[in-house]
This record gives sequence, structure tokens and C-alpha cells, in this order.
Amino acid sequence: MAEEQTALELRHVTKLYAGTVALEDVSLTIRRGEVHGLIGKNGAGKSTLVGIISGLVAPSSGEIWINGQKYTSLSPITAKHQHISIITQEPQVIEESTVMENFFMPGYLDDKKVIDWSEMRRRAVEILDRAGFPIDVSVKMRNLSISERQLLLVIKACFVENAEIVIMDEVSASLSQKDQAILYRLIDDLISAGKTIVFISHHTEELLRVCDWVTVIRDGHNVGSVMRENLDKKKLASLIVGSTNYDEQIMEDMSSMIREEEVFALKNFTSYGKFEHISLSVRMGEIVGLAGLRGSGRTELMKSVVGIDAYDDGTVWVAGSQKHYRSPAAARDDGVLYLTEEREAEGLIPIASIQKNLTVSILPRISRWGVLQTKKEEQLADDLIRTLDVKAFSRNQNIGQLSGGNKQKVLVGKIMAYTPLVCLLDEPTRGVDIEAKESILNTIHHELRKQSCVIITSPGVEDLIKICDRILVLYEGKIIDQFSREEFSEKEIYRAMQGEVIHIDEVRNNES
Amino acid sequence: MSLKTKIKLALLDNLVWVLLAAFFIANAFFTPAFLGMKNQLNILYQSATLGLLVLGMGIVMMVGELDLSMEATLAFAPGIVILAARQLNMGPVTCILLTLVLGTVIGFFNGFFVAKLKTNSFLLTMSSQIVMRGLVLFLVPFSLAGLDKGYTFLGRGRIGAIQIAILVLIVVYIIFEFIFHKTVFGRKFTLTGGNRRAAYISGINTDRVVIYAFMLAGLLSALAGLVTAGRQNAVSNSMGEGMVMMAFAGAILGGCSFNGGMGKPVGMLGGTLLLGMIDNALNLNGVDVNLVSATKGGLIFLAILLDRLRFKMSADIMHKENVRKLSAVQSNS
Repeated sequence: MAEEQTALELRHVTKLYAGTVALEDVSLTIRRGEVHGLIGKNGAGKSTLVGIISGLVAPSSGEIWINGQKYTSLSPITAKHQHISIITQEPQVIEESTVMENFFMPGYLDDKKVIDWSEMRRRAVEILDRAGFPIDVSVKMRNLSISERQLLLVIKACFVENAEIVIMDEVSASLSQKDQAILYRLIDDLISAGKTIVFISHHTEELLRVCDWVTVIRDGHNVGSVMRENLDKKKLASLIVGSTNYDEQIMEDMSSMIREEEVFALKNFTSYGKFEHISLSVRMGEIVGLAGLRGSGRTELMKSVVGIDAYDDGTVWVAGSQKHYRSPAAARDDGVLYLTEEREAEGLIPIASIQKNLTVSILPRISRWGVLQTKKEEQLADDLIRTLDVKAFSRNQNIGQLSGGNKQKVLVGKIMAYTPLVCLLDEPTRGVDIEAKESILNTIHHELRKQSCVIITSPGVEDLIKICDRILVLYEGKIIDQFSREEFSEKEIYRAMQGEVIHIDEVRNNES
Repeated sequence: MSLKTKIKLALLDNLVWVLLAAFFIANAFFTPAFLGMKNQLNILYQSATLGLLVLGMGIVMMVGELDLSMEATLAFAPGIVILAARQLNMGPVTCILLTLVLGTVIGFFNGFFVAKLKTNSFLLTMSSQIVMRGLVLFLVPFSLAGLDKGYTFLGRGRIGAIQIAILVLIVVYIIFEFIFHKTVFGRKFTLTGGNRRAAYISGINTDRVVIYAFMLAGLLSALAGLVTAGRQNAVSNSMGEGMVMMAFAGAILGGCSFNGGMGKPVGMLGGTLLLGMIDNALNLNGVDVNLVSATKGGLIFLAILLDRLRFKMSADIMHKENVRKLSAVQSNS
């Protein structure tokens, strides 16, 4: 039997970041002509690994072998020489240029000084025909949907760049169902042409469908490269989640603080295409987790509640009366506050001081007759900085100079300053180090719930398990499952997030 | 933080005043007739119109927009009001109030389109600038002279040796310094300019803030128009032409940025005075009028370079301070 050829191999690769180990001694073999899947929870080290393969991140130690050649680190240029193409999660196109220009960018048709438009058009049409994706090549990218742009980039990588190794980083996440079918067909074509594909996805079902091998990354380690034949959804989920016992890490039960009064409820809340028929009810002092993959509708849901986005149907109830907020200002006046997942773009004002950022939402409260009460503001800022343990030398420091974790603490502090009635926290622990995460979760668990009810999402289930009293699972815009505190199991919640209904019927039966 | 660092930061924060002081001292030695009380008052008097425009522009820049129409409003508001007054026999007080109201309304118009219809403020205010200047040139003859004494009081009047225009400039700056330093209303401007989306999500009605900024710019332009008309004892149809670029220069020297979120009136006043002083010193030194303009441009360029340097130095000091404090915390624990 002829030995299979190795296309790409990592040997004992380690990547250290200041304070954390992102990858530790990872070895991985990707054979020529296979679709190799990569999966792992958020923060498992998957994106570092992808960065190393695509030449954007230099490993701290270890070797990378491509086609029998050894490298200690890759750069985008070596990646190009070795015919490696990367397609990222968010399609990178030049919006004001046409499809064919984007195809042949940046070299246009090499070796020609003058752009030969008719030749370019001919080739572009030919490629699209071959790919079975008929689209006008002189349309500007701006006029195409995200899904179409993404697919065109896949086609570019396959047929224009003639890549030997194609890395698809959560490509299917932005594809429509129709375009997904085309993607799967393209993958089949590529494989029969002897190319190699690294396929990164959050969806276990998709991986099992597309890949020949799947590698699972957990806590910076390769916990196994397994052939598809030996895998099913359940097995994959347990590999991803591992057997870590979270019981010890669950913070103490604070359900005694939950009071009977219902503070916040949604009835049949719907925004077509984003989320549908969401009904939920939260009591005073309760923390409810919303678990769901990116795109499951959690962010959209929260933004619609506070009036950033519109919704189509259903009602919002706050403290017993029906509300329809048309701006975040209106929601805030009722004590409904939203913490955005987009810390830099939507959360903070980078050139303002920590103090000014903390008090954005409560200006009327720290003023008399419209004049700011400086002492009161300073006192409040100092208190919050202490409670949240923000590492800064002064409340007057610009927030842009803080680290990610400390910025996030300020964002939480902004919400706390208001002492809201309803907190909608969208990934408050996103992109922060362990210490900051602990301190944020602690604050929510012990402080924030005192006078409010909390709905929280998180990039990882484990954060929700630690502090929530109840977890609802969103899948494709619908609540498909519910877990109470005694039933928390990372594995099962993870499976539910993949669309497997586990026990909602039981829950319903118990309640009735 | 040590006292030395504190002083360093304070000086960097008010760099324009440091430059102003340096320029003042240099001229006190080398420029004849510069130091006299009369000349100093003259500088202030000559700066009054520009100072009001700089403040207006600075406020619009705080929220991250810009207003090219200010120089046209400066002529349009008094021009239209005086024309109407001649037909309707209005008294001077009514005229002054109407001029200010008209300026504010023009600002509202600009702000409304920028905030609600999300038009680009450069394009929108450029078009309103052209429209207003065109109308003024069409409606107002070369100049309308023989204005009422009450109407020209702000520009011509004096108390003892001090012109009213100087008092207007100073009082307006004190009021706005208070507003932007101490009130909720003022705080919202820099927050909106710093990150409009974040401010909106935090519950600030950012559209309204943007509209207010343009209204204030319109109001200040009209006030500058009153001062100018008073100074020349007439409303001419070319008043304010070309001043908008100087208004930008003053605002940027005063610490504003095209990205928004920055600026305080004290700094803008410094910027205005620096420009006025440069003008004055070059004139006193007998520099040719056309060369004055070129030299001024060069000095502004230099000042803006210094301003960038200031930004970097200030960030460096802050960074070092942070590192120092964090390592102190670690060695303690």
C-alpha cells in the first residue's frame, strides 16, 4: 500500500502569549487530498492554530512542514509560495470593484502591463461556469450579498489562485443554504482534483458531513484526530467539551435571592429571519443564560428589546407593563440596559477617560440643574473601579490605554452604575483573561443581581454554568431547550446548541 | 503620580497656551510696539470675529462633524435681517435678536440633515454655504451702510478703552467653558463625538446632540456677523469670505480633531489668540500682506506638527505611569 502523502504537518507547536498558553505541544498531520476538520470551543486555541497555518501568527516553538519543507514560522508570503489560500469568516472583498476585478486582484492578469479587460472577462466567466455559480462578472461586489461574496472568494481560492491547500475558516457561517450546497459540491470537486482542505466550523453536523478527518482542540491541546467513520455527534461533542468537572467551579447557589415578582418577559417576540416566537420570563434577582452559537439570534434578540433594531411581532413586558422601545435611551429610562458584545465599536468611547465612560448612562443622576457634581462623579468612579478591580493608575486615564480585560470591566461598571432593573449582557466575558473573567462573573453573580434580573450570553457554556440559575438554548432563532440549575451539563447544553433537542418535553411535563 | 509628571501633562494638555506664551515673549523682545496695551487690545479686538467662528467650528468638530457654511451665515444672517428691517422699520434690539435666531435656524437646518438623513456634513454645509453666499451677493448690494447705533454696538461700542467686542468674546468663552466643563449638556458633545454608536447605545440622543452642535455654530456665526458688521459700520456682501479655513486652523490648534470627541473652549481661545498674534506681529514687522498669509500658513503647519507630537508624548507619559503603578502593585503583593 502506497504511503499517503502529507500535505501539511505541525510538530510540537507551542504558542505563548503574555500570561497565557494558547497552544501547547500540538502535533497535527493533514494528508493530501482530504478534508480535515478543526473544531473546538471558543478560547480553545483554534484560531491561534489557524493563524499559524495561514502565516498570521508565529509559533513560539515547534516546526511546520509543508510538502516536505520545514519552517519554523510562516508568513503570508511563504503561504502564497506554497499555494495555501485562506478564506476568512468575514469575506474580504473590495466593494467598489467588480466581481472579475476582485477575482484577479492584486495582479490582474500577470505579465501584462495593460489590463486586458475582455480577456479578464472571458476567464472570469469561464471560471464561474466551471464552478457552476452563474453570476454577472461585471457586477460590483457592493451589490452582492455576504453569502455570494463569500462563495466567490472560495471560487477565487480554488480556481484563480489554484491553491493546493485551502483553509476555510468558518466559511459556511455566512452562507445561505443554497450557497452551502454549492460549497459542498466545490469541496467534492477540489478533493477529486487532489487538493487539500482545512475546514473550520462550529457545527458538528456539518463537520461530520464534509470532513474525512476531524481534529479537536481543547485547552490548547490536540485531543485527537479522528476518522469520520469512527465519529458521531455525541462522541464529537464529548471530545470538544472534555470531562472537566465543572461542579467545583459553579459559584454558590444564590437562588435564594430570586424573588417571585416577574420583572421582564417576552411573549412571542419575533423578528423574521433573526429569531421567532421567543417567550421567556425572568424574575427579580434571577440570572438566565442564553446559550447559542454565533448567528443563533441572541445578539439580535437583545438589540431588538432595547430598540437598537426593530422587531416584527410579539411584546416586551417590563415590571408588568407592556413596552415598545424605539431607542436605547427610552429603554434606559425604564432601567433596561444592554451591554454590547462589540466592546470597541459600540461599547466604549476610547478617547474619553475611565470616569467619563463609567458615567455615560447616568449623567442626569450625578448632576443638579444640569450641572455636573464633580465630587459625586469622582466618588462613584472610584467606587466602581475598586469594586471591579480595574487596573489603571487613575480614573482620568483614557480608556483606550487599558487592556482588553480592564476595558470589559469598565463596560460592566457602566451598567452597574445605573443599578438597572433588567440587564441584557451580551458576552460580558468576551476576549478577557481568566482573572478578569472571574472578577466580572463574580460581580454579576453577587452584585448585579441584587436589584435586577439578568439575561446573559457567553462565548462558552462554562461561564453560563457557573453563574446562571437557568439556561435557555437558542438554535436558529428559536428557544429549543431549557436547563435548570440541577440539570446543568456542559456536554448536553453543547449538544442542544447544535440543534439536538434533549429534554424540553420533560421540562414541560414537569412544569405542568 | 509625581508632581513633575502632573505638570508635564498639564503643560502638554494646554500646549497652545505654552506656544502662545513663547510667541508673546519672543515678540515682546523683537517686535517694536508689540507690547503696548493698545496693541494688545487691538489683537483681542481683531480676534473677536475669528474667535467666535473658531468656537462654533470647535463645537461641531467635537461631535465629529464640520461646518463650512459658518462664514456664509456670518454675512447671510445680518444681511437678510437688515434688508427686512429697512422694509419693516424694525428696532435695533429686534434686529439683533432676529439675526441670532436666523443663524440658529440655519444651524438647525444643517444639523437636521446631517443627523436625521445622515448626509455628509462636508457636502451638505458646502452646498448651504454656496447657496447663502449666492443669495447674499444677489440680494445685498456691495454694502448696507448707515446702520443703527444699537445694532453696531457689539462691534463698535466701547467701555472706556475696552471694546465691547472683546468683552463679548471673553464672556462667550467663559460661558461655553462652563457648559463644556461642568454641565451634562456639554459632556454629551464629546461623548457623542468620541464614539457615536456607543453613546447612542448608552442612552444619549446623539441625533439631538449633533443638531444642537450645528445650532450653536449657527448662533455663533450670526454673533460673529453682528460683531463684523459693527466693526465696519456696514453689512457688506463679502463679509467672512475665506474665514472658515482659519476657523479650522484655530480649532485644531485649540485641541480639536477631525475624528471628533476632543476639544475645550479654553484651548480654542488659545488657538484664536495665537492666530491673531501671528497676524499682528507680522504686520508690525512690516511683512508684505501677501507674505503674511504664506508665513501664517507655515506657522500653522508647524503648530499642528507640534500638536501631533504632544499627543504622542502625552500618551507615552500615561503609558509609563501605568506600567510603573502596575509593577508597584505586583511587587507589593
